[in-house]
Amino acid sequence: MPRLQVTNRAGEVREIRVAASQTLMEALRDEGFDIEALCGGCCSCATCHVHIDAAWAHCLPAMSEDEDCLLEGSQHYVPGASRLSCQLRLTQQMDGLKLTIAPPDE
Amino acid sequence: MLQAPNDIDFFTDYEVLKDPYRYWDELRSIAPIVELKSRNMVIVTGFREAVEVLRNTEDFSSVNSVVPTQSLPFTPEGDDIWAQVEAHRDDFEMSSILVAFDGARHAAARSLMTVLFTPTRLKANQDYMKEVAGGLVAEVVARGECEVVRDVAVPYVTMVIADILGIPEEDRETFRREIDKGGPSVGSMEGSPEDQFASFMFMIPYFMRYIEERRANPQEDVLTEFANAKYPDGSLPDPFDLVANATFLFGAGQDTSAKLLGNSMRFLTEDLELQRRLREDRSLIPAFLEEVLRLEGSTKSTHRLAVRKTRIGDVEIPAGKTVIVALGGANRDPARWEDPWSFQLKRPGIKEHLAFGRGAHTCVGNPLARAEIRVLLDLLFDQTSEITLSEKHHGPAGKRKFEYEPSFIIRGLQELYIEFKPK
Repeated sequence: MPRLQVTNRAGEVREIRVAASQTLMEALRDEGFDIEALCGGCCSCATCHVHIDAAWAHCLPAMSEDEDCLLEGSQHYVPGASRLSCQLRLTQQMDGLKLTIAPPDE
Repeated sequence: MLQAPNDIDFFTDYEVLKDPYRYWDELRSIAPIVELKSRNMVIVTGFREAVEVLRNTEDFSSVNSVVPTQSLPFTPEGDDIWAQVEAHRDDFEMSSILVAFDGARHAAARSLMTVLFTPTRLKANQDYMKEVAGGLVAEVVARGECEVVRDVAVPYVTMVIADILGIPEEDRETFRREIDKGGPSVGSMEGSPEDQFASFMFMIPYFMRYIEERRANPQEDVLTEFANAKYPDGSLPDPFDLVANATFLFGAGQDTSAKLLGNSMRFLTEDLELQRRLREDRSLIPAFLEEVLRLEGSTKSTHRLAVRKTRIGDVEIPAGKTVIVALGGANRDPARWEDPWSFQLKRPGIKEHLAFGRGAHTCVGNPLARAEIRVLLDLLFDQTSEITLSEKHHGPAGKRKFEYEPSFIIRGLQELYIEFKPK
């Protein structure tokens, strides 16, 4: 079970253990973090936006055009760090991954 | 816990089934969570409290989400009945469909579906949507009038789902004919839960054959992708699980989308000024639809079973209690929505409405429903100069009559007769 270090929108840091094969969005949501994930994981709304620590970029899958397009439209887009957590399926290689939940768009 | 007045039953009172909103307001004025004493249930009409339940998958199971009125198939023991629910899962009515799954099994089944509704997939589907909608709209506009749910919405959404799943052209008419025969809405007073899904059973042999054929001889098509999709752990689904998913998509995505179109048309035909604004500025259609979803979303309630002793807000909920989450009630909670009964375009935070639920069971087809309605309204506006209600069927302004489905799950007009002024 990979461990994740999550910074929530209030800036508090918490470590969680999650089941591999879930998506990051599912893991954060089920742990009660403050993400809305309004579209339910269909890569359609950008309300599960997170910033991934640069050191972990190498373990992430490539971004689809849909994800890229939604993130670029977000007020809190950070090139190289922004991802939609519904599009990231957790693997054992992500053990220790650090991330911050992005602020909500207006 | 505060209790609801005893004289009205949410599941059987015909007036409440047809118009739940005043009843929900009355309950919410007592408390956002109240007990229905006669049924060992609580009903949640507060927005914050509804979100709390929908997001809490540790303490609430979805096993009873379609048939909340069933008795537990066991005697609950203690403050944690998860193990009992799992041991008796197959004894619950309608527990074999996706919306009744929990936990990892639910997430795995759902992962096969989310990929069907991404923006790229829907864009690929859009030309077909326009083609089908264009044909249906041209036909009814030429006639000058129609009953929009049966004549347009049902065949349209049926054919669109068929396209998303890649059903071969030669079989689509059969699907349409079978579905057109119709059946009662899910959660209806009319017919059993099995009857309500029976009209989709004819599909099973078709999908079994598609999956066998595409697994044996992969082609460059959507069905091949569907037949060979893998679970997140890399395993290949049992064909029957895929068939269940496919039939579920028709069952869940058909009535709800069709009713949503009817509900949208009612707003547009009762407020011609609003219709004119949308005609002139089509970019307002999505904002219009979100407000329709809030006020008249086509799923009025969903249900959960408390499987552990827990709390909603500060109210204690014992294990074994059934929870009715009144989505349409939460969507008119004045604690969340200013002047909740009024129709307002572009409310702040409108997309947080609960018409599609929230959390693990958020309606997976929500991007499709939004695209379907947008495409259809756009085409209707293209081909007409005005759409009005049929006074012959619904009466004159001020004395309108509308019949809604007598269902505790579906909120939708049984019929909506409209007339067209051509361009």
